[in-house]
Amino acid sequence: MRRFDLVLPNNLEDCLKILAERGAQAKLVAGGTDLLPQMKNGVLRPAVVVDLSGIARVRQVQNGNGLRIGAAVTARELEVSSALRGAYLSIAESAALVGSLQVRNLATVGGNLCNAAPSADMAPPLVALEAQAVIAGPGGERRVPMADFFTGVRQTVLAPNEMLIELVVPPPGAHSGGQYLRHTPRRELDIAVVGVASQLTIADGRCTKARIALASVAPTPVRATAAERSLEGQAVTPEAIERAATLAIEAARPINDQRGSIEFRKHLVRVLTRRTLTTALLRANA
Amino acid sequence: MSTMKTTRDVKGVGVSIPRPDGPEKVTGRVQYVADIPAKGLLHAKLLRSPHAHAKIVSIDTSAAKALPGVRAVLTAKDIPHLKKKAPTRAHAVLAIDRVVFMGQPVAAVAADEPSIAEEALDLIKVQYQVLAPSVDPLKSMLPGAAPVADAGTEADTSEALAHSAVAIAKSETPAKAVNISQQARLQRGDPAKGFAESDHVLEKTYRVPMVHQGYLEPHAVLAEWDRNGLLTLWASTQGSFNTRSEVADVLGIPENRIRVIPVECGGGFGGKIRALCEPITAVLAQVTKRPVRYVMTRREELQAGMPAPQVIIKLKTGVKRDGTLMALDAETVIDSGAFSGAVLAVSAVFLGSMYKWPSFDIRGFEVLTHKPSVAAYRAPVAPQTIFAIESHMEQIARDLDLDSVEFRMRHLIEPGDPMVNGQPWQSNGAKQVLSRIAEHPHWKSRKQWVAAAGKNGKRRGVGLALGGWLGGLQPTGATVRLNPDGSLAVLTGQVDIAGTNISLAQIAASAYGVDTDLVRITTGDTDVAPMTGLSAGSKTIYTVGAAVLQAAEDARRQTFEIAAAELEASVHDLELVDGKVTVRGMPDKGITLATIGKKGNLYMSKTPPVLGKANPAFTQQAPGFAAQLARLEVDPDTGEVTIQDFVIVQDVGKAINPLGVEGQMQGGAVQSLGIALTEGLMFDDSGRLTNPSLLDYRKLTAADLPNLETIIVEVPAPAGPFGARGVGEPPIIPAPAAIANAIQNATGARLTELPMSPERIALALVNGKQ
Amino acid sequence: MAKQILSCTVNGEPVEVLVQPYVTLLDALREDMGLTGPKEGCGTGDCGACTVHVDGRVVASCLMLAMQARGRKIRTIEGLASADSTLHPLQEAFVRHGVPQCGFCIPGVLMAAAALLEGNPRPSEEEIRYGIAGNLCRCTGYTKMVTAISEAAGTLASQRSAR
Repeated sequence: MRRFDLVLPNNLEDCLKILAERGAQAKLVAGGTDLLPQMKNGVLRPAVVVDLSGIARVRQVQNGNGLRIGAAVTARELEVSSALRGAYLSIAESAALVGSLQVRNLATVGGNLCNAAPSADMAPPLVALEAQAVIAGPGGERRVPMADFFTGVRQTVLAPNEMLIELVVPPPGAHSGGQYLRHTPRRELDIAVVGVASQLTIADGRCTKARIALASVAPTPVRATAAERSLEGQAVTPEAIERAATLAIEAARPINDQRGSIEFRKHLVRVLTRRTLTTALLRANA
Repeated sequence: MSTMKTTRDVKGVGVSIPRPDGPEKVTGRVQYVADIPAKGLLHAKLLRSPHAHAKIVSIDTSAAKALPGVRAVLTAKDIPHLKKKAPTRAHAVLAIDRVVFMGQPVAAVAADEPSIAEEALDLIKVQYQVLAPSVDPLKSMLPGAAPVADAGTEADTSEALAHSAVAIAKSETPAKAVNISQQARLQRGDPAKGFAESDHVLEKTYRVPMVHQGYLEPHAVLAEWDRNGLLTLWASTQGSFNTRSEVADVLGIPENRIRVIPVECGGGFGGKIRALCEPITAVLAQVTKRPVRYVMTRREELQAGMPAPQVIIKLKTGVKRDGTLMALDAETVIDSGAFSGAVLAVSAVFLGSMYKWPSFDIRGFEVLTHKPSVAAYRAPVAPQTIFAIESHMEQIARDLDLDSVEFRMRHLIEPGDPMVNGQPWQSNGAKQVLSRIAEHPHWKSRKQWVAAAGKNGKRRGVGLALGGWLGGLQPTGATVRLNPDGSLAVLTGQVDIAGTNISLAQIAASAYGVDTDLVRITTGDTDVAPMTGLSAGSKTIYTVGAAVLQAAEDARRQTFEIAAAELEASVHDLELVDGKVTVRGMPDKGITLATIGKKGNLYMSKTPPVLGKANPAFTQQAPGFAAQLARLEVDPDTGEVTIQDFVIVQDVGKAINPLGVEGQMQGGAVQSLGIALTEGLMFDDSGRLTNPSLLDYRKLTAADLPNLETIIVEVPAPAGPFGARGVGEPPIIPAPAAIANAIQNATGARLTELPMSPERIALALVNGKQ
Repeated sequence: MAKQILSCTVNGEPVEVLVQPYVTLLDALREDMGLTGPKEGCGTGDCGACTVHVDGRVVASCLMLAMQARGRKIRTIEGLASADSTLHPLQEAFVRHGVPQCGFCIPGVLMAAAALLEGNPRPSEEEIRYGIAGNLCRCTGYTKMVTAISEAAGTLASQRSAR
């Protein structure tokens, strides 16, 4: 890596001060699992790197009325957290898929989201669960719905003097279940060719809320809104699932790249949407 | 000089002895090049071309030179002896006026820290005039393609020398296409007539991309000059003498001014045979008068290493309804990248003469493109060739409703049958290997296993394939010394990349007559060891093992002669048991090895030290065959493949060390499976590698694989030490065809392009390629 | 750029060393502390050759900045054997089963396996495979590794019950 200054703030306030002064030339590092490879490739060349590992505030998971996840909670912590059971299982599932164990012990949910790769695994479940991003800046805190957090490939709503500090996941209600699945050529050390998170909330045998979020088929994670609408208010039958799976393709605008072709990605959107909806239904009814 | 000896009653050949370097390796103490400390060490980095084909207009290094901590910045004009037209990749130390692949080195920096060297690269300003590249080999071989090599560059056949050494007829008329760097044509009989008389004609094109050897340790070298003008290179290499010769030739230095010390090599598989980083690192060390270390990054390895070539085989066969072979026509195009280096002959041999084709027309072309040039990868061109012929044979059997093993067995060559070039096949175990795998319960029960596919929606398939390697030859030497305590010291120059040293110790032990525990092998550097060849070509045990055996027998003879004089007996009446040479039948009349050893080292002694030596060359190859079988499941929606079981059967002649042999079989098989399922260097139309990281260049993990079952077959090689054949290469050969056959069995889809990724499988099913 | 003081514990010993702020933990271990057991195979967290334990958890040390290890407990392959140099059962099993070939991946695999067995003393074959799935090996094909790890698990269990 090229040389840089390293700052080691001990608390959030000091960190925000640094960002206020030097945010434009700075990068935050938590797990480093996306940042360091990009710095080693020369894609990113920050003059300043700000280490978050000394800031306790961003490292906690709380399950009360809804879920609060500190931005620097690691993927491994999420993978094994007892707080992420039941309706929140898809978050743990997505975290469990990141890289390898050696990477998951470092990688953070905040880093995964702020790096904002189209393939970010932890984004679709958080979008499907309607999480909110809590952002700290010079003027205090603000909240942005997860679905609006991403603005383009590797781009988010964060200004250079802001940082993501927490995710707030509202309680999804009784009888809600979800799943995150992705397709990769290998079982480990891999990256999503397509990822799908489905979340269904059921009442009286009908779907009251459906959320389907897709990764790796657009510049940002996207919601398959046509598919969602086709399910809401209906009984979730296999036919309804199949119809939704087909409609989900409409939300996908994939590209051909070294990981997959447009044709294959659209095909996978259908397959993974079908599979995650089927499991989401089972989990919602459990 | 006898070759095949019976094993004496010692702990030697045939015993599974763990490698003696195990403890150093499991404690992290063994040193690789990057682990070696050096006072005043400088770190080297190379500036590499961002274009696949361009003229260099100008290079300005002034800003880089001015960066504090930078000790040298070099371009081609700073290096004397650089040939204007680089005949090989190693000679292209730094580009002179043109770049011919993306990633080609253009400038070199040595600095106090790697980070400073990196920043210095940013400060070097190069002006390029970008030219159109030739990237697709099928287009590059046509007249009018953008030329890659300077006109008149010879085809570099040094790779062929390391590997199969098959003489092959050159084509009569040179092509007008400028990028065809080698070509050959072999014919037998009248294929047109054969096709006309066939009932079944099958034509397919098989494609395998460039793949990287995938060694975990990137290329690394440490270079230092002493004040006497002697260059020392600590290198991660498969052949220290070859490295020395190449560096000497490239830089115009006499060979005896260079010492190459082969450091523990973290994997090579053919990718560390040729010099790559050593010349430039040596020049940086000379200019700075400091030790300089260069370690390639993984990105550089993938972009600018020396991968296996892309291979495209158009194969057409004609067969009668009853399975009689009639005719074979094949055109093989091998994409060698920017410099010639592919082994053309291998493909022809296995396409046309693994099975007895009565007539054939086989044309091979090596084509240059603006991509990194190739080197060997464990059985070069064989996995690709076997993928073609074994997929094809399976398909023929399937189409004609013939048992696929019986069909193969019926036509499989036997020793004495002619290869495509007319030379006879040497003794080999092809038939024994094929029949052994056909006896495996997984093969015999395949129909029931496939039918029992569970309710999980996955489809089951079983497939097998057979492949072989001719076995390399290279002259070598070894010495065997008796120590004053009766133990043995064996010296070779052979780099141990496959655990061969313990096997060599076992050979020496059995040939001399002591337990392996008393034998230590030393791998000497180019200053101290007898000259030897590459650790490649599946020839270490076959050739160096033979040299060690002969040297040990020479030492034994000398030992017995000394004992005979001491005991006043005839040499023929002596035997060696438990470290003592005694007169047969008179156990009290003897002299210990230790006594003989001490006598050879005493002041004023008249007894010479025992020093056995051998320096053989070889003429007889020892082909090794392997068969592999896969039982797998395919998810028809996603195309994901799960290998449930995998079996490797291999003829090794004689398993000197079965534990080591198993490790070679399993390791080679996983490389083979990677070629089959997940690996490939993907270049775009501009010649840029689109997957330059291990995230997207996918090697298989432990979670992707089952336990690999190994079955050793022993058909002795007449000239092999104790009958041993080379082991390293055959296991990388059959898996792509075996997997393709299993996938076809499971889904009906016949895939002919590697890797057989989930995408290719899923879309083949979606698009109905049943 | 000034060096910074990295204070941490490495293989049970307190360490204080000056490091450049822009080096990784892997670089600091290898170049500044002389612990060359962990290797760089890729530098991007995709091969596992750099695996060490930080506070008992396996991490890719090529992805951590050295200063991020401040105050933490690091364990490398050099700290796997006992203080009296007795090999860990994993190391013994690897030697006996002929696991190491080129040896480059071995330090990382052993650290991953050690962490696996510390958290899961009786892993199934599948759990073993996933436990080392973050470690690429090009030489062995993994089969003997799995056998050796399984055997070492048994050895550790008997050692525990013998106490």
